Order: sequence, then structure tokens, then C-alpha cells
Amino acid sequence: MRAIEAGILICTECHELNRQETDSEEQTCTRCGAMVHPRRPNSILRTWALLLTAAILYIPANVLPIMTVSSLGQGDPSTIMSGVIQLVQHGMFPIAAVVFVASILVPTFKLVGIALLLFSVQRHQPLSARQRIIMYRFIEFIGRWSMLDIFVIAILVAVVNFGRLASIEANLGAVAFASVVILTMLAAVTFDPRLIWDNTESDDDHE
Amino acid sequence: MPDPVDAPGLSELPLDDLVACHECDLLMRKPKLALGEKAQCPRCGYELYAHRHNVVERSLALVIAALLLYVPANFLPIMQLNLLGQSSEDTVWSGVQGLFDTGMEGVAVVVFLCSMGIPLLKLICQLLVLLSIRWDIGRSYGLLLYRIYHHLRDWGMLEVYLMGVLVAIVKLADMASITVGLGLVCFISLLLVQVWLEVVMSPHQIWQALSGEDIHAGD
Repeated sequence: MRAIEAGILICTECHELNRQETDSEEQTCTRCGAMVHPRRPNSILRTWALLLTAAILYIPANVLPIMTVSSLGQGDPSTIMSGVIQLVQHGMFPIAAVVFVASILVPTFKLVGIALLLFSVQRHQPLSARQRIIMYRFIEFIGRWSMLDIFVIAILVAVVNFGRLASIEANLGAVAFASVVILTMLAAVTFDPRLIWDNTESDDDHE
Repeated sequence: MPDPVDAPGLSELPLDDLVACHECDLLMRKPKLALGEKAQCPRCGYELYAHRHNVVERSLALVIAALLLYVPANFLPIMQLNLLGQSSEDTVWSGVQGLFDTGMEGVAVVVFLCSMGIPLLKLICQLLVLLSIRWDIGRSYGLLLYRIYHHLRDWGMLEVYLMGVLVAIVKLADMASITVGLGLVCFISLLLVQVWLEVVMSPHQIWQALSGEDIHAGD
């Protein structure tokens, strides 16, 4: 039995149970004072909006250079992918793999994964609740790791600072990339995981 | 494991005897936990709550340790780079400054928040919440601060920053000679203390102690 069917609302912030008040539209948690809703309002719509914005910014994030390495007056702009290729050419495979996973695989997987979650919640297809919750938790856990490249740029900009001899500066691609990471993290926050279980009241979903 | 009940009488039970899963909305009878035990949702596996002992004292010790480490971790050099007789130092703070000075204000703000601002705010919120429980003052502010803490939680990214340091070291290794600084040791310690703190400070017990439902919840 779901709490919503028993007329009980869970506070999203402190997890206290509250009896649903039928007469009032806006109800606050009896313990912590946060607004309580049966489900987060407009969860699917908001998540779609954030996701689409992130998808649009995903293009400049990958096409524009994220930083320029200049040494002896010569500038060498690099994009996310060319940074990975450079690492491979220098034979640093483990680090190249980490950067590839964090900056290319994870953002792509997040965009596709959240879209798939939203789609399967709306259409009751094509994933089982168990697959969906595993996907949701994975997306929630992995999202922050995409910030890796942004931090690397910050460190490089500070440490490689020898004037004309060698210096590194950040470019517009970094702004777009940081925005993609933040927007997809927000999308994971606005998505209400309880929706995953709402339309799957079949027997195999209860153990 | 708590048992999910489909009995029609379930919704009439007093709320104190019930627990609902935050992630899948399954309603259950609340299990009584002994010290050191935790309850998981039988349907989706989410950890409902845990019961640990001495939560407030142990968390306070860890918060204070983390706050002491915070300043050296962010302002002592993480690494030094030597290139043809010139040397430069890197601290977490100088990374933010470097981005800001090259016209990337937006990215600089994001890096500042994720690596310095939000981790500090989180620690301050936790400290004030624990003090408010311990000294029994300002409970309503404590509740508000603890709500803020839960919103900030995902946005402190110390462990990702540490990974960034490692990637930067490997990238620079064949270009110049690198010396690792004391700041890195402090930064790693700060990260470890903070992870430990998140394990010890069980939210369920803190909420109960803050709201005064159970005076001994934090013991």
C-alpha cells in the first residue's frame, strides 16, 4: 500500500509523515515546516524543461574549446574530446579513461537516461520499476563527477602561469559544459522518484 | 526488515507507528531498531533510517575537526610546479582567482561554490544544528538550518575536486617537475572527515532530536 492511498504525505525534507488535509491547498510539514505535496508539483514538466536546456547546451559544450594552452606565444585551443585524445597520445590510458568517462560518457548517459526515465514514467513503458530505480540512483550518484573537467581547468589555470613561457586560459566551452552539468543535476533533483512506482502496482514489484 | 502491510486498518494506525519510504512511497509498520541497526525499504532497498549511538557527541567532534582542517586545505599549496627555474603554487583558492582573472567569472563562481563555499556552509549548518540540540536553544532555527543543509548536500564536491587534482598532476607530470604540498594532505583529511561525518550523523535521529519528539534520540 502506498502512503498516498492512505491519505498520508511524506515530507520531502525531513521524511516526517503528515495526514493529508483535504480542505487546504498548501500544507506544511508539522515537524520542519517545509511544504508537503503528495508528489512534487509539475515534476515531469520541470524535469523535461531542464533536460532540454541541457541538451541544447550540450552541443557548444562539446564543439567549443574549453581551454587554450599557450606556450612561447603559440596558442593551442582544445575541446573536451581533443583533451582525451591528447592524453591517449601521451600514453596515459588510465587517466584518459577517467576523463573520457567523466566528461563524455556520463553527461551523454545522463541526458539519455533521464529522458528514458521520463518517457517510461509517462508511457508506463519500456522499463520495469526495478530497472528504473537502479537507473535513477545511478544518475543521481554519478552526476557530480562530470564536474571533474571544470576542476582540472581551474587547477591548470592557476598552476601553469609563467607569462609568455607557458600559460593556460579557460574558454567559452567550459561555461557551456558547467551549465550542462548543473542543469542535469537539477533535473535529477526535480524528478520525483515516487512516480516510478506509481503506475507499477503489479505483483513482481512487491517482493 | 519492516513488513509492508496491506491491511485496510493500516491508514487508521497512529502516524508514530508508521513509516513510509521516501523514494517509493511504500507504507509500512515502523520497526523498532536496536543500536547500530538500520531499516531498509523491502520494495526498493532505500535506507529508511539507522539507529546509532552518541550521534551528537561524535558528530560534534568530527565537525570541529573538519572546520579546523578547512582553512589549511583551501589556502595551503596543493602542489608546486617548477618550469625552467620558475616556480608557481596552486591552492584551491588560487584556482578560483585564476579563472576569475581570465574573464571566466561564471565558471569561477561555480568552482568556488562546489569546492569551497558549499562545503563550508554545510559544515557550519551541521555545527549549529548540533549545538542547538546539545544546548537546547533555538530549535526552530536548527530545523531551518538542517533543511538548508539537506538542500546543499549534493552540491559540495570535494571528492570530485580531489580527482581533478590527480588528473592535473598526471597531465603536468611530463611537462614540468611537481612537488606535492601540505595543502593536499589537509584536503584529503578534510574529505575523509566529512565522509565519516555523513555516515555518523544519522538524519532520522537528528530530526527527532531537533523537534523534541525524543529527547534521547541523539544520545
